[in-house]
Amino acid sequence: MSSLINFSNITISLSGKSILNIDQLDVPAHQCTLLTGRNGSGKTTLFKIMAGLLKPNSAEVHYQGLEMTWKQAKPYIQKDIIYLHQQPYLFDASVADNIAYGLHRLGENKAAAHKKVMQALDWANLSHLAHRSAKQLSGGEKQRVALTRARILSPRLLLLDEPTASMDTDAKQQTSLLLQRLKSEGVSIMISSHETHTIDHIADRHLHIENGQINTLERAVHSNKVTVLNTPKFNA
Amino acid sequence: MNDLSQASAHAFQLLLSGNSEIWEIISLSFGVSFSAILIATPPALVIAFFLAFFQFPMRRALISLFNTFMSVPAVIIGLTLYLLLSRSGPLGDLRLLFTDKAMVIGQIMLSFPLLVAMAHASFQAADRRAWETAITLGASPARAFFTLMYEVRFGLIAAIVAGFGRVVAEIGCSMMVGGNILHATRNIPTAIALETSKGEFAQGIALGMVLLVLSLSLNAGVSIFQGKGELQA
Repeated sequence: MSSLINFSNITISLSGKSILNIDQLDVPAHQCTLLTGRNGSGKTTLFKIMAGLLKPNSAEVHYQGLEMTWKQAKPYIQKDIIYLHQQPYLFDASVADNIAYGLHRLGENKAAAHKKVMQALDWANLSHLAHRSAKQLSGGEKQRVALTRARILSPRLLLLDEPTASMDTDAKQQTSLLLQRLKSEGVSIMISSHETHTIDHIADRHLHIENGQINTLERAVHSNKVTVLNTPKFNA
Repeated sequence: MNDLSQASAHAFQLLLSGNSEIWEIISLSFGVSFSAILIATPPALVIAFFLAFFQFPMRRALISLFNTFMSVPAVIIGLTLYLLLSRSGPLGDLRLLFTDKAMVIGQIMLSFPLLVAMAHASFQAADRRAWETAITLGASPARAFFTLMYEVRFGLIAAIVAGFGRVVAEIGCSMMVGGNILHATRNIPTAIALETSKGEFAQGIALGMVLLVLSLSLNAGVSIFQGKGELQA
């Protein structure tokens, strides 16, 4: 199992309270990692730090053979890691325009960008929604559009915050299918979720966050049976 | 009552006949106010964004300051600017007093706090996910800022319209630093005040009608624009 990115000594305090104090967090390449933890345990905070959206008090990053501080690593991680909110935000534009949003930075011309968007919509089976206003979509459709919008940028790691929360069974299945396809394309995925049964069949590894620290849970791949491998001391 | 009807009829005649003096006043008024809003808006939006999205020392004090300056009377701004621009003032050498440029500066000072305060409220109400999504999708901070402005455009346009409404109808500052000089600094409000004091109601009513139509049009425009936003949401 090769490592995609490694974070160490992640600490962050908000209003004087220690939220995270993680010694090591290794994200394996081409694998799906499930992250569980109680509400308020710091899952979203961790994802935002990993995506370069939230500045930690301290964090070191080992990425592409380089040892960097979080600040030095920020441009790299913002380029290669995409974070999706629990309820993804779609801009006030059509679905196609939303998916094309990130292509600007790649310097794609209009024709090439349009072709890519159409292919991406086709990949997600969303072609029929191309010209629909993104604000009018259902929760499940929004999640799938957000996944497609992320995929078109070829990220190396996708961080998904509760991707199937508040969805009906059908929407959960469709989202789960897209996640499986993303994983089969070699995208590393990290998912925070309470609904482990929905994600379970694609997860290779299970991490649990508690008291600001991460426990690795050993598991038979794609099974519900988990045992705690290591339980670091909480020293907040 | 009869006098009022006659004056109103005369006012319509003045407007429709293309009276050069009236249209010159209208054009100067709009030119000065548009220039002021055009100059004040970009920095006001950037400051409002920083106040809403970033934590830094004195942030709350700055917000309170802008809120306070929003309600400072135009005549106080006019007096301050007069003292600064008068020959013996620190900026007297610029020789700007009683010019349309001085009126533009005064109107910038008047509209700026209102623009910042109203734009700040819009950014404050914006969904933070919009900013984070733009950044995580690879947008530069500048592009993410423009994206965010688009997402809250209804509130920002309302702020700009309110700012324009405040300056186009103000009289205190324009009178003090402009001097109400015909063909140079006479705008709609100062002309209305002058003509009314002379008992020439027709021209005052004509110019008043222009302001009224402008106000109605701006408000109708904002309502229609915001209505479209509600449909999409």
